[in-house]
Amino acid sequence: MQEELINLRNEAIAQISSVENTIDLEEIRVAYLGRSGKFTLLVKKIKDTPSEKRKEFGITLNESKNTLERLISDKKQEMIKSISEKRDWFDLTMPGSKLDLGHLHPLTKVLKEVKQIFNFLGYQIADGPEIESDYFNFEALNIPKDHPSRDTQMTFYVDTKGTDLKPSETILRTQTSAMQGRVMEKMKPPFRVLAPGRNFRYEQVDASHGFEFWQVEGFVVDKNIHLTDLFGTINYVLRELFGKEIKTRFATTNFPFVEPGVDTYMQCTICKGKGCSFCKNTGWSEIMPAGMIHPNVLKNAGIDAAKWNGFAFAIGLSRIVNLRYQIKDLRTLTTPDMRILSQF
Amino acid sequence: MLIPLSWLKEYVEIKLPLKDLMWKMTEAGLTCEVTKKVGDEVVLDVEVTANRPDWMSILGVAREVAAIQGIKIKEPKIKEIPAATANFPIDLIPNFDLFERWSAIVIKDVTIKPSPKWLQERITSMGHSPINNIIDITNYVMYELGIPMHAFDYDEISGQIMTLEKASGGENFTSVDGESYKLPEGAMIIKDAERIIDLAGIKGGQNSGIKNSTKNVLLHVTIDNPVLVRRASISMGLRSDASAIYERGPDKGGTVNSLKRAAGLILELAGGEIASKVIDFKKENFEPKTINLTFGKLKRILGIEIPESEIIRILSSLSLYPEKIKDGITCTVPTYRGDIKIEEDLTEEVARLYGYNKFPTTLPVGQVAEEKIPYFFDDSLILKIKDILVSCGYSEAKNLSLVSKALVDKFETDPKDYFKLINPVSLEYEYLRVSLIPSLVANIKLNPVDVLKLFEIDKVYLKTLKGANEKYRVAGISTGKDFRDFKTVIDIILSKLNIENCSIEFEVDKKYLHQSVAGVIKSGSHIIGEFGEISPVVLSAMEISGKVYCFEMDMETLEKLSYTKLFSSIPLNPPQIEDITLVLPPKTRVGEVMKAIKNSELKITNLELRDIYKDSYTFRVWYQDNSKNLTDADVKSIRDRILTLLKSKFGISLKD
Repeated sequence: MQEELINLRNEAIAQISSVENTIDLEEIRVAYLGRSGKFTLLVKKIKDTPSEKRKEFGITLNESKNTLERLISDKKQEMIKSISEKRDWFDLTMPGSKLDLGHLHPLTKVLKEVKQIFNFLGYQIADGPEIESDYFNFEALNIPKDHPSRDTQMTFYVDTKGTDLKPSETILRTQTSAMQGRVMEKMKPPFRVLAPGRNFRYEQVDASHGFEFWQVEGFVVDKNIHLTDLFGTINYVLRELFGKEIKTRFATTNFPFVEPGVDTYMQCTICKGKGCSFCKNTGWSEIMPAGMIHPNVLKNAGIDAAKWNGFAFAIGLSRIVNLRYQIKDLRTLTTPDMRILSQF
Repeated sequence: MLIPLSWLKEYVEIKLPLKDLMWKMTEAGLTCEVTKKVGDEVVLDVEVTANRPDWMSILGVAREVAAIQGIKIKEPKIKEIPAATANFPIDLIPNFDLFERWSAIVIKDVTIKPSPKWLQERITSMGHSPINNIIDITNYVMYELGIPMHAFDYDEISGQIMTLEKASGGENFTSVDGESYKLPEGAMIIKDAERIIDLAGIKGGQNSGIKNSTKNVLLHVTIDNPVLVRRASISMGLRSDASAIYERGPDKGGTVNSLKRAAGLILELAGGEIASKVIDFKKENFEPKTINLTFGKLKRILGIEIPESEIIRILSSLSLYPEKIKDGITCTVPTYRGDIKIEEDLTEEVARLYGYNKFPTTLPVGQVAEEKIPYFFDDSLILKIKDILVSCGYSEAKNLSLVSKALVDKFETDPKDYFKLINPVSLEYEYLRVSLIPSLVANIKLNPVDVLKLFEIDKVYLKTLKGANEKYRVAGISTGKDFRDFKTVIDIILSKLNIENCSIEFEVDKKYLHQSVAGVIKSGSHIIGEFGEISPVVLSAMEISGKVYCFEMDMETLEKLSYTKLFSSIPLNPPQIEDITLVLPPKTRVGEVMKAIKNSELKITNLELRDIYKDSYTFRVWYQDNSKNLTDADVKSIRDRILTLLKSKFGISLKD
C-alpha cells in the first residue's frame, strides 16, 4: 500500500513537471486530487490498511496530497507568469467594429451649457409662444406702434383668418424679450428668468442674417439691482462660455425697454482682436445687448417701479454657436446636411 | 449719419487720436466704427439710435464730441433776420395734430445759381449732389442743425394760402425730383388754394419747387407728426434724411433758429430781401424742462458712488445745466434733448460719460424665487430623448419653422390647417409647419447617402379657433433600413421612458403616411403619435426613391406618461430560458401574439422574437418564479397552458 502510494505520488509529480498548459494541469489536479481522484480514492482505502501501518500510511498520504497541491499551485503561478511575459505579435491598430451613433445639433449643445450657467446663478427657464401679440413683443416693452426702433425688427404678420386672433396684432415674435411682460404680469418679484427660443424677423437671408434665429433672453427683477450687477453677470457668463482670458467692453446703446442701455463687445475669439472676417475687421464682436429695465416696462406689467428694479439682456445664441465653432455662415445651422451635422 | 471731419472741426477741436475718439463715441452710445473717404474728406459713419434726433446733425455730434473730451464747442454764429422790406402775404392754416410747430418766412428777389464751392463740397461730402444755392442751403442747415426745412417758390403757392391735411388715399403727387406717386391714406400734405404742393416730412412737390426762374422764396421749418411721417414713408418706400429725423422727433425749440440760419445764408449767397415777418405757429412754448436726479437713485441704479463734483462736471459738459439741490441735482434739459424725460434717463447720461468700462463688476445679491416662474419649462425629457436618439444613430436637424406652399401640397395636407404669413420674405417660407416630418423628408435630398437617420425636436404650430397651439414634437426619419431596424427606435424610446400599455391603431388620418404600413401609437387611451412608411405618392412628388420610415410623437403626452420606475430587487431564483418556434397562420400580428403570451402568464418574465423564417417565429422565453426554483415540470405546464391559449386564440401551433 505504502509503495503504491509513493509510486502514485511520483507519477503525479512527473506529470506535473512535464505539463505544458493550465488546462492540462487542471486535468491532472482533478485526476489525482479531485472528488474521485486517485488520492481521494486512496483515502477510502485507509480502513483496509493493517492497523499497525495505518498511521504511517495516513501521514504519507497527507504529505503527498499537500506536496501535490503545492506543486500544482506553484506550477500554475509559473505558467501564468510565463504567459504574461511572453510577447506575441498582435495588431492593435485594427479599427473597432462600427457602431453608428448620431450627433447632437450644436445649438442643443451650446444652449445646454448656457442653461447650466444660468441655473447656477439662480435663473429659471421659461418658454413662451412664437406666434405672439404685438402687445408683448413691442408695446409692453415701451415700443409703441410706429416707433422708429421697430425698423430694426421688421415683423412678420400672421394671417388670422379662421381664428379669433386679432388681425394685424398677431405676429411672429421678433425677440425673446417678449417674455418679459408675460412673466412680469403673472408673478411678483423677485425672479430671475432665462427664456431661450426661436425668433423671426423680416430680413433677406445672407451669411450673417436669417429670418429665423435663436436668442436667449435673461432678466432679473429684485429690490436693489445695479448696473454693476449687469456688467458682472455678462462678464461671468461670457467667461464661462468662452474662457477666462476673453476681453469684454461695454458701450451705451438705446432700446426703449432699458435705461441705461448697454451693448457688449467681446474681443473676437477668432483673431484675438487683430481683425478678421468674423468681426468685420474691428477686432470686436457685438454679442449681448442689455440694460437696466425701463421703469415703464415694470409699470406696464403692474410692478411698482419705485420698489423694484432689474436688468435684462439678450444673447444671440446662433452667434455664440458660430463663434464657438468658427462657423462663418449662419445658414449652416439650419442646413441638416450630414457633412455638417457629423462634425458635432 | 455721415459726419465729415472738417465740418465737425468747425464746431469742436479734436484732441484725441481719431481711433480713440471713435471708441469713446461708441462707448457713449454714438456708435462709430467706420470711416470713409469722400474725395479728400474723411467722413465718420455714425449709427444714430432711435432716441437721438440731435445726433442726426453735425452740431449735435459736435456737442457729444466736446462732452467726451471735456471741452467747449464753438456754436455757429447765427445772425438775426434783418427787418422786412416788403410784406408779401402768406396765409398758413395751422393744425397742431399734424405740425406741432410751423415757422416760416418769405424772401424776395433771390438769384438762383449754383452754390459756391465750399457749400457744394459740404453737400457732396454728405453723399448728395449739389442742386442750386437755395436747395443746397436748406439741406446744409438741416445737416448742421438737425431740423428738416423746405423752400417753396412763393409765386407758385396759389392763393398765398397753405393748409394742412391728411391724404384720403389715392391722390396723385409728383415730387420735386419728377417722380410720380399715389399717396397713401393718412400721409400729411400741404395744399394751396388749388392743389397738393408738398408731401410733408418726406418730399416737396414739383409744382411749388425751386426752379432756375424762381424769384421769391417761402422758407419753412416744421415739426411734423412723427407717426404720420413714418407710416407714409414706410408705405411709400420713401425713406429720406428728413423722414429719418422726423421719426425721431427733432428739436421743437429750434425751428426759428434754423430759419434764421437759412435766411442768413440765402441773403448772403442768393441775394434778395426779407419780405415777411417771421411766422411761428406753435402748439405750446417749447422750453427747456427741469428734471431732478437724486443721489440715492443714481447709486441704486448704477451700483457705485460717483463723486458729486464728477456728476456735476458730466452734466455740465452735456449742457444740462446741473444745480445742486437737497439730496441731488436739478437739470435744465434743452429742447434738443427730447430723449431725456425721466430720472433714469439722467442716470444714463452720468453713467455713459463716466464710462461704462470704469465700473467695477458685481453679481446680484438679492433673493432667488422659491416658487416656479410662469411659463416654467423643464427640458430634461427633451434632452433625454435627444440622447436616446443619438445613441440609436439619429442626428439632430434644425429646420426652419416656415415652409413653402409646395411642401404643404406635396404632403397632401390642407393649407387651411396652417397659419400663414401675410408678408413672407418669399413663397419658400410662407406657412408655419404643423408637423416636423415634411422638412425632415425634404432633408433626404440634401443627403445622398445609403442610410440616413435624422430627428428633430421642436415646435409645431397648430391652428385652432382660439389661436395658436404651439406644441413640442419629436420626429425622425430613417432611410435604407428595413421595418424592424427602424422600429427599434420607437421600442427604445417607449421603454426608456417607461411608457406602459402601448398599442397600435391601424387607421391613420395623415395622408402623407402609407395606407397599410403606418399606425398610431397609443398608451391606454392616450395618443402618442404616428409612425410608419411615408406614402409612395408623397415620395414620388418629392422625387425621393426607396422607402422612408418616420415617426412623430407629442412631447407633452410623452412627458405625461413617462415616469421613474422604482427599483425591483434581483430575483433570488434563476430563470429557465428556452427557445420555442411557433408556426403563425397568415396575417397573424406577432405583436399581439407576444402581448397575449406576456399578459396571460406572470411567470414569463421576458420574451424576445429571435428569428423569423417564413411562417416560423422563434421566441426566446424566460420563465421565472420569485418564490421558488422552477422545475422542468413547472416550465412544461406553463408552456402547455400558453400553447393551448395560442392555439385557441390565433390557431398557432408549435413547430415540429
